[in-house]
Amino acid sequence: MADKKTIKFEIVTPENTVLSKEIIQVTVPTQDGEITILPEHIPLVSILIPGVLEIKTVDQEMEIISVSGGFIEVLRDKVVILADTAERAQDLDENLIVAAKTKAEKAKADALSHTDYDLSAVAARLEVEMARERALHKWRKLKNVK
Amino acid sequence: MAKTKEISRRIKSIGNTKKITRAMEMVAAAKMRKAIEAVLRTRTYANLSWETVLHLSAMANGNGELRHPLLSQRAQTKKAAIILITSNRGMCGAYNTAVINKAKESIKLHPDVPVEFILVGKKGATVYSQKQIVAAEFPKSDVLSDSAEVTPIIKMAIADFLSAKYDKVVAAYTDFVSPAKQVPRVKQLLPVDISTEDEFLGIVGDPKISVTKDLIAEKGSKHLYANSGFEYIFEPSPEEVLDKIIPRLLEVQIYQALLEANASEHSARMSAMHQATEAATEMVSELTLFYNKARQAGITAEIAEISAGANALLD
Repeated sequence: MADKKTIKFEIVTPENTVLSKEIIQVTVPTQDGEITILPEHIPLVSILIPGVLEIKTVDQEMEIISVSGGFIEVLRDKVVILADTAERAQDLDENLIVAAKTKAEKAKADALSHTDYDLSAVAARLEVEMARERALHKWRKLKNVK
Repeated sequence: MAKTKEISRRIKSIGNTKKITRAMEMVAAAKMRKAIEAVLRTRTYANLSWETVLHLSAMANGNGELRHPLLSQRAQTKKAAIILITSNRGMCGAYNTAVINKAKESIKLHPDVPVEFILVGKKGATVYSQKQIVAAEFPKSDVLSDSAEVTPIIKMAIADFLSAKYDKVVAAYTDFVSPAKQVPRVKQLLPVDISTEDEFLGIVGDPKISVTKDLIAEKGSKHLYANSGFEYIFEPSPEEVLDKIIPRLLEVQIYQALLEANASEHSARMSAMHQATEAATEMVSELTLFYNKARQAGITAEIAEISAGANALLD
């Protein structure tokens, strides 16, 4: 690992700044699949899909963040993520996620039986909840709890 | 005695007005606190996203390889639209007048360009009486919950811009600087243009996150490879990314403008009501003085009458 090479990382949502830190690597879910950004990455703009962000900070700590979509802008030594919503895994509450997921699943089943419902919106909601759940599981695995 | 009665009635009525203005001041202060919180929360996002938009626009106009209808400048401005953000209610001092005047000033700069207004907020309706054309009116909720509320506004603006009904879309709103200072501003939204002035939103709180041309230039030289200039990779494709990113980011801009306007409105109302309360206090004390003088004069006159009467009896 080349030392000293770091990325200024910032993830913001319309509500708040979720994380602003020096990092050495970040993996993001984009429309074309997951990409990992290392220092000295070429400038890039891409669309995010609901999923899990994995970040390795300068002190080798892992950060797990769930996002519900947005954009990523990569500059030479800076990464800006403009997310619609984002939560750090340690702030997620499993009970709430499960409840929201069941609701979203039910809504999707409803939408499937009614052709006039907007399926894409419901499916998107389910995807967001699933991303949150995945983030939480990853976080637990990382921290070796339950 | 008739005079004192009249004065005391006035004192009472001014006292009641004072109660109302004081209550309104307190309500505005509470609302302002919430609005400021909302403004500051979104500001980082709005400014960072505006930076991104400006980068993209600089690139689109720079090398000519990347073209997007929302980014490219038109040779001639045949018609422009102003999105005018005003309050729903009055009692907020010169708040609405200031932003409307600012909008009219910018119209005067280009006298040969016809302008249509898109109103957000009820008080914008004053432009009707000033013989301006209004294309649309949108309701404004006093408490904004999320950016989806501005989607119809920006959708209409983009559609009309793309169909060449307008060649320029600007937003006139009030920027919140501090509870004591609000600045009316006109900001160009479409086409996205790096060379326009007044392109930043709210510089207070953190001057570092304000977006100015210098910052963009600095960012360009610092964070982008010098030899490649403003060149990005787009995934999946430039068209797809721009089609998604620009409307979303414009939406955020309008949303932020609305939040700024709300915070400004409540601050303006608070200080207007504060002044009204103070004026009422002053008036009451002045009138109390008059009242006492009138009462004194009445008593003196009465005593004079009585003693005159008594003197007459003695004689």
